[in-house]
This record gives sequence, C-alpha cells and structure tokens, in this order.
Amino acid sequence: MTIPTGERFTGHGAEWRDSSLSPAEADTATRWVEQKIDKRSMLTNKDRVEDVRDIMWQLEKEGEIVVHRVSDEHEPVMVKTLYGWEKKIPTKRLWHHKSCGQCGNIPGYPASLLWLMNELNIEYLDETDQTSCTAWNYHGSGIGNIESLAAVFLRNFHQAYVSAKAQGLPEGYYYPLVHCGTSFGNYKEVRSYLLHSAKLRERTKQILGKLGRLVDGKLLIPEEVVHYSEWLHIIRDRITERQIIDASELRATIHPACHVYKMVPEDAIYDDDILEGNRVAVSTGLIEALGAQVIDYKTWYDCCGFGFRHIISEREFTRSFAIDRKVKIAVEEANADVMIGHDTGCITTLDKNQWIGKAAGKGYDLPILADCQFAALVCGAHPYKIVQSHWHASSTETLMDKLGIDWQAKKAEFEAYLKQIEAGGPQDNLYDPRKMVTSGPGFKGIRIEHQA
Amino acid sequence: MTGINATRVQNYIGDPISAEAPRPRAELEEIFADIQADFRYDHELNGCLNCGICTATCPAAHYYDFSPREIVQLLWTENLEGIYDAMQEKIWACAQCYTCAARCPFGNSPGGLIMLMREAAIKHGMESAKNVLRPFSRVMLKLISTGNQLAPDMITADHFADWGPNVSKIDAPLALLRKAIPMPTLNTTKTAWEVNLKTSVELYTIWEATGVLDQLETIDENLFDVITDIMDEKREDWEEFLEEEHEGD
Repeated sequence: MTIPTGERFTGHGAEWRDSSLSPAEADTATRWVEQKIDKRSMLTNKDRVEDVRDIMWQLEKEGEIVVHRVSDEHEPVMVKTLYGWEKKIPTKRLWHHKSCGQCGNIPGYPASLLWLMNELNIEYLDETDQTSCTAWNYHGSGIGNIESLAAVFLRNFHQAYVSAKAQGLPEGYYYPLVHCGTSFGNYKEVRSYLLHSAKLRERTKQILGKLGRLVDGKLLIPEEVVHYSEWLHIIRDRITERQIIDASELRATIHPACHVYKMVPEDAIYDDDILEGNRVAVSTGLIEALGAQVIDYKTWYDCCGFGFRHIISEREFTRSFAIDRKVKIAVEEANADVMIGHDTGCITTLDKNQWIGKAAGKGYDLPILADCQFAALVCGAHPYKIVQSHWHASSTETLMDKLGIDWQAKKAEFEAYLKQIEAGGPQDNLYDPRKMVTSGPGFKGIRIEHQA
Repeated sequence: MTGINATRVQNYIGDPISAEAPRPRAELEEIFADIQADFRYDHELNGCLNCGICTATCPAAHYYDFSPREIVQLLWTENLEGIYDAMQEKIWACAQCYTCAARCPFGNSPGGLIMLMREAAIKHGMESAKNVLRPFSRVMLKLISTGNQLAPDMITADHFADWGPNVSKIDAPLALLRKAIPMPTLNTTKTAWEVNLKTSVELYTIWEATGVLDQLETIDENLFDVITDIMDEKREDWEEFLEEEHEGD
C-alpha cells in the first residue's frame, strides 16, 4: 500500500492501514455508522439497568425512609423515559429550587418560568430557605464529597416538604421543581447512591437529625426528581394556547444539557414523536409545539464547553469548544436563528463566549435563550422586565426583530421603569414578597389563600 | 533523579535508569486505597475492553493530552505510578460532562472516577490541586459563607473581560438592575438570591460534619481562616436570634 505524500495525522499509530474502500462501500459504511451513532441505542446498550425507585419503595416499606410523593393534588402527568419506564411530573403546587447561576447571571431565566406559571395560574413558592446544590463547585474543584452532596440534597428537599407550614398548609403541599441541570443530575445521582448505601444513609441521617430535618425520625426521599424543562414539556400545549407571536419562520437549534440527560440517563424523557425518539424530548418538544422549525446539527450531542472548572480558570478551552463545536456548526450548518438550551452553565457558556471569537476571525452572533425565556417571549412577556434579555451578551435583539418585537420601544419602557424604581416608586413583582421568608429573621407568619 | 532538572515524568514516577522512585511505594498505595475506599468506586468501574468510545466522544480529549480510556485503564490495572502521574495534571482536564459514562458499554463512569481522584488529590494536599483550585477561591468563599456558589457581584467586566462589553446591555448600577428583577428573592447583589440566615448556618454545619472544611484547610489555609471567621459571626447572629425569639415566647 502506498502512503500518500504530505502530512497526514491519523492518531492510530504506525500499524494503521487505509481501508481502501470504494466510494460506494465507503458510503454504505458511513450510512451504517450514521444509523447507530448519536442515536438512542447508544445509551441503551447496557447489560445491567435498574430502576432505583424499586429500592426506594422497598426501603419505605421496611420503615427506613419516608417518600415525598407526587400526589393527586399535584395533578401529575405521566411521561415515558429512556427505557419506556414511567415518570410522574407534577403540574402544580411547586417549590422552586433555584439555580445560583441563573439567578446570579441570567435572572430572566427563572423570572420567565415564574411568569409562565402566573399566566397558567399555577401555585408555587419561591423562598429564601434554599442553598445552592453545591455541585458546580464539586465538579469544578473536587471540594466536597458524596456525604456533603447527599446532605445538601436531603436538606433542601426536606425544606420543600415542610415549607408550606409557614402558610398554614400541610407538609408535602409543595413539590420541588429543580431549575438547574447540574442540580438535577447531581440530585438524581445522589438519590441513587443514598438508596444503594446503608452507610451513606446512616451518616447523612445523623447530620439531618442535627439539623432537625428528619420526618418521623427518617430520611425524606423524593419520589421523583423533576427538572423544570420536564414541567414545561408536559404543559407545552397549555403554553401554546397563550402564544401570541408566530415563530414559524424561525430556525431553532437545541442544545440538550449533559447533566440533564447523560447523568442518570434512564430518567430522561423520550418521546417517539419527537425526533423519532432519538433525542431527549424536553425543549425540542416545546419549541416544536411553539411552531419554530427545529433544525438538527451534527454536534448536538457535544457538551457546551462549560467544564465547571474551565469556565473559571481555563476559558480558552471553554470558548474554543463553545465556538468551534457548537455555535459555528449551528450557524454554518443549520443556518440557525437561535439556539435554545435548558441549563444554566450551557446558556452562560454559549451566550457569553461568542464576542471573543472576533479575535480569531470567528465573529458569530447567535442568539442564545433558555426554553422558558423563548416560550415567555412568544407568549407576550416583556423582553426586559420579564425575559431580562439585557443580561444576554449574544444578539437577542436580532431574534426579537425576526419575531416582530419592537425591542427598542420595550427597552425604552424598561429604562423608564428603572428611573421609577430609582426614585423610590413601586416595583413590579411576580408574587407577594411576604411569601419568600418562611422562618427565621423577617418571618411574618402570614396565611395565604391557596388554590383548591 | 529528581529536582528542578528532572523531567515531569522523572519527578512523578521515577527514573527508570536509576530506579529511584521519588514517591515511596507506601504513599502511592495509600492514595490508591483512598480512591478505592469510596463506595462509588465499584459502582463506577466494572471492567474495560479498551474500546475507546469514551475518548472518542470526550470534549476534553479534543484539546488536552487527556483520555478517559487511559484513566480507566490505569485504575483497572492498578497502575499506581500512572495514577499518581495522572493526578498531577490530566484529571483536571476533564469537563465533567459524563458523555463517557452515558456511552460506556460496561457502565463505567470515567467522569465519576475522576471525581474520586480529584478528591484524593485534595485530601493528600497535592500541589496540582492547590494550583488548579487557586482561581476557585472566590467561588469557595461565596459558597461556604453564603450558601450561594455564584453572585451578581462576581459577574463583572473586570473578571470576564473576554465576555465583551455586554455583561449588561443596559447601563445602570447593578443594585438598580437587580431591583428591577420581578422576583423579590433576587433583588440582591452579593448573593444570587436572598439566603435565610438559618439556611447558611445549616449548610456550614453540613460542611463541618462531612469533612469539607478539612479539605479546604488542606488546600488553602488562609481562605479557611477567613471563612471560619465569617461563619462564627453568622452562628452568633443565629444564636442571638434564637435567644430573642425564646425570650419573646
């Protein structure tokens, strides 16, 4: 065999030989690979798969734990996950487990979600008694351990369970809805380890006992760990009923978040009617329901480049990966008008790391939004007061132009609103601020009318 | 041969000519024993046929001298010198996306195994861990003292010059922009949301009870001192609140 002249780097070592396939054979081989690669079967090729909820029910039966149920009062909807198992998603009475990255950096992300809930008359609680999940820090630095992650999980979910008592309502009234993909993946993984390890349960029980956060002397485990994108998914038809802006001309790409569907993949929602069931269904289902054209692209499976540690201290990796593997492909291959995501780190990474590309002759400008922000926008939410698009570095304005939104006028309204607040005028809030403190300093102990 | 004239390999895994190992065998064994002792180890390492699907799909492998397949092989074959060497630099390249774990036919989690190695690097006070974590001190300070990992006052053009001029497209003071967010919990600048005093005291109790503060002290003693001072004050505030509440009853 003749080795072609010139540089050729294959990375396979000296023993590598060209397959010498004919063009037809190469085409057949490529098509075979394309049928397999990046498809659902890549995730289901395991010998051993277990549903940890079976262990959970057994442990409750044995009196070891208490399960926080998704009850009829939460009006759940059943969905299918990777292996066709059922997952119960609550639709109402939701406790917002906020994301530090969203709240600190992309505040229109949670604000849009709460706005949608207000539009749909969904009861919820957003309160101050919640910590970060601490998983960003853990995956980035290694500071932390399985016990600390588990104790934080149990603590926050216990608070969700008891939070309604501050309003004179029963325990379990609100069900936790996790905003951040990192928290979601981490909590699912931690729940699995708690169910598998008696030693971990014993150690965390001591800590939770010290905090006064046991239920009848037992650990409280949630029946389901639910991500907000799953709630959006099951409620998408009700959202489209409120849509007032046509999105059918838009070409949208979806970035599925790694910690949403690659961590504990058996718990991710799949739907045969959405991209033939080959992709996680959340976000894609919503954006299709809103009428936009969801365009496939070859690097959909790649991560965003966030890296947890890299976004802070090795940003050359983060921005190179974000631009070369995601934004560039979405713009050049999919000719996308927008990229939609459903996680904190991804939105931050993809949104903020485009400007620097100009330095390398890669001046892409692809609007980046979370699914709930896009949904709120086409349902008529204010682009600045609610969607808070001014925190996005990417060109959300070009997206709004394409949607026919007069963003200059809306921006002027918002700037006038800022002056009003600066002068001591009233603030617009999505809920009664008295609800947000449920104990400790500042707690007023108010009783609030709730929905039947 | 070790010291400033030695190569990286010679420094970490010894010199094959002189056969002098710079690290005593007992130390390498202790580090590996710590990695193996975590109950997640057996869950995340089930075998390896060197198929390389993990490396083929790994984002970090595109840009670094890093391969999750290599990490799994080092652990599977109990290559103590190789494990120690990988802990100096390679394990910090992983982007923690878990694509490797989702795809491994054996059900291994190379990303998860790397977390066990990172924890061990911290426990043993490895210089690599100290260097890598130095830029993380702002996050650690914020997280341990408030309960929030990230706050609006950390996202400034000074800290993220490469993000360009649009950290906010509306030119107004940060506090005012935050007041204009229609979620009352978010009208803050020093934390991502307003955190109940009880909440941050509870999180600190978790840090103490699970050995996280010990990890921090090993890596950055100064940061540990600052955080314990802040949290001692918060605990006093909480105790005072409880006393006042008790007196009011």
